[in-house]
Amino acid sequence: MKNQVRELRTRRGLAQGQLAEAMGVSRQTINSIENDRYTPSLPLAIALARYFGVTVEEMFDDQGSLPGDRSL
Amino acid sequence: MIKDRCQAIARSKWFLPLFSLGLGGVVLLASWLGGQLGAGVYGLVVLAVFGLVLLLLSGRSETIRGLTTGRDERFAMIDLRATAVAGLVLITAVIVAWLVEIARGHSGNPYGWLGALGGLAYILAVAFFRWRG
Repeated sequence: MKNQVRELRTRRGLAQGQLAEAMGVSRQTINSIENDRYTPSLPLAIALARYFGVTVEEMFDDQGSLPGDRSL
Repeated sequence: MIKDRCQAIARSKWFLPLFSLGLGGVVLLASWLGGQLGAGVYGLVVLAVFGLVLLLLSGRSETIRGLTTGRDERFAMIDLRATAVAGLVLITAVIVAWLVEIARGHSGNPYGWLGALGGLAYILAVAFFRWRG
């Protein structure tokens, strides 16, 4: 799932390891999220959004990836 | 609370190496009881070395760290998928062995029982997790 994690992190001048420590996950997990290889759990997505002061929807692009999504 | 304590123990960097060593001890005991002390010592050494490698490399490799101390939600998912793949490989091997044994004119045991156990465990697990929501 595409997301703004890398952009928000670099804007704050944080290293992946620092963000990972704040979230209680590994640096590789942050890297995987930023590279759209891993979709975080809802608790982690909320924690990331709260950490950066944005909504989950602003942080994650759910275009076409939600169950039941249909193109009109 | 007990669950948290168990998780804390399982996440200790010593858990898997010591489990490996303990398993080696059990292998040694079983082999000794079966009159194959040499094979038991070999099993113990292999498992002890495996445990030592886990301990030494846990600070360097994410894979090994994930098996020991650093299991976050992503690695828990990786662990779940890896367990599913290992289970699939195992049940496939059991079914193939069962069919080969039947084709040879044997009863197919113990592979038939193992396959039945695997299938039953899967159905019960599905029912349990469905009930649990």
